[in-house]
Amino acid sequence: MKGSWIHYIRGFVTVKLASGEADKFLAETISKVELWDISYGKDGKLRFRVSVPDFFRLRPIVRRAGGRTRILERHGIPFRMARLSRRKTFAAGMLGFVAALFALSTLIWDVQVEGNDRIASEQILQAARAEGVYPLQWSPRMKDTSELASRLALRIPGVSWVGVEKKGTKVQITVVEAAKPDDRKLESPKDIVAKTDAVVTRIVAENGRPKVQRNDRVRKGDVLISGIVGEGERTKAVVSKGEVRGLVWHEYKIASPLTVKSKGFTGASNERGYLVIGNRALQVSGYGQEPFERSEVLGEVKRLRLGKWTLPFGKMNEVEKEVSYAETKLTEEEAKRAGLEQARAELLAACGPGAVIKGEKLLHEHTENGKVMINVLFEVEQSIAMDRPIVQTSPDETDRTESGTEATNRD
Amino acid sequence: MPRVVRKLRNWTARILDLPRDVVLDLPRVTMIGGLQLTVENHRGVLHFSPESLRLAMDKGEMEVTGHELVIRNIGAEEVLVEGRITGVQLKA
Repeated sequence: MKGSWIHYIRGFVTVKLASGEADKFLAETISKVELWDISYGKDGKLRFRVSVPDFFRLRPIVRRAGGRTRILERHGIPFRMARLSRRKTFAAGMLGFVAALFALSTLIWDVQVEGNDRIASEQILQAARAEGVYPLQWSPRMKDTSELASRLALRIPGVSWVGVEKKGTKVQITVVEAAKPDDRKLESPKDIVAKTDAVVTRIVAENGRPKVQRNDRVRKGDVLISGIVGEGERTKAVVSKGEVRGLVWHEYKIASPLTVKSKGFTGASNERGYLVIGNRALQVSGYGQEPFERSEVLGEVKRLRLGKWTLPFGKMNEVEKEVSYAETKLTEEEAKRAGLEQARAELLAACGPGAVIKGEKLLHEHTENGKVMINVLFEVEQSIAMDRPIVQTSPDETDRTESGTEATNRD
Repeated sequence: MPRVVRKLRNWTARILDLPRDVVLDLPRVTMIGGLQLTVENHRGVLHFSPESLRLAMDKGEMEVTGHELVIRNIGAEEVLVEGRITGVQLKA
């Protein structure tokens, strides 16, 4: 019924007209008092509902009509409150519960740290505790989150940003760690020496003293950039660093065959399916195929999985592909070119990055046993620098080494 | 209501195509199956029992018959009756 909650707040009663004439009573009251749910009970008496204030207005009218009323049911807030006021402990408990809920919700229950990798969570939590953020802290005593964040950022070393977010009774501290450059590896003093015999084409010393010049001829093991700097008494060993490039000669003996065998798939293939149980396979498809003269078989096993377990059941697909071998004959010129090409590629791979072939000279060439034998000399410009640690043995140089190492560390 | 006034109102309602109950203060009865019945423009309850409800009208009376009748709501203008309604009768 519309507005029934208003009735509920004001309180209403179900009333029985215990004695008196129903029709007369209805005619009297309906225009003056609001009644609803008017019906006859099993005892043949009229019963109806009326709000509490209206009920008191109703009584004189009933008395005048010579009737009597009896209240059957009481509903609504006023009656609830009256009942509650009789049960003091219950009411106190209800109030206490609300109060406790409110009081406990003003405490901080959980502090979480997020985003830290190198910095220990304990360290951050300790810093937070020092700033007054810890479990069972009373929220109003905590500082503003933005202020907390800036203070925490100052307190925790190695962070670039700290965010503090308060979600109800939970405080989340988000940390962004400062990026640190990788520590440089410590190195002992060293020279740069020649890797092979060569003619120097370029020398750039970043650290240390260059000992050779451009167009100098050096032998394997010669010092190119010295790690000992200074003169006379005032010398110290440093980590020499630099780039040295030189012309190096490589002699290659190449044997290039005149016939080349190549393998290829013809495109024809047979497929077979198997059912795998344990380590046995049962062929289920692909019967009655013509076998190939030469073929390669590729198999793929798929096992059933149940969660993290692999079951001993599965299926296998097998593809048999026909293979054909072709032999091609090359002329001597072609074989030579192929051999040289391969030699160049091998050479550049062996000489390290930045190597450039400057020239090549064919020394000797002859054909025998279906192969072209070539002897070729390559001139390659490549890096010839190689590190060699400086070993100092004389006792009076020991302290110098230490100072040298120190200098290196600082570097 | 004087006769002239009623004639005039009747004429207005006819000319302007107005609902008669609005203009002429006639009872308006809305019935939902045999379950619910609303009567507007009544003039009071004459008799009420589980089997019948007699309502006073401007002219004559109206009787609602049925079983287990309940007046859900009653106001100065409107009555809402529920129950197993079997008949509605107008008596001039």
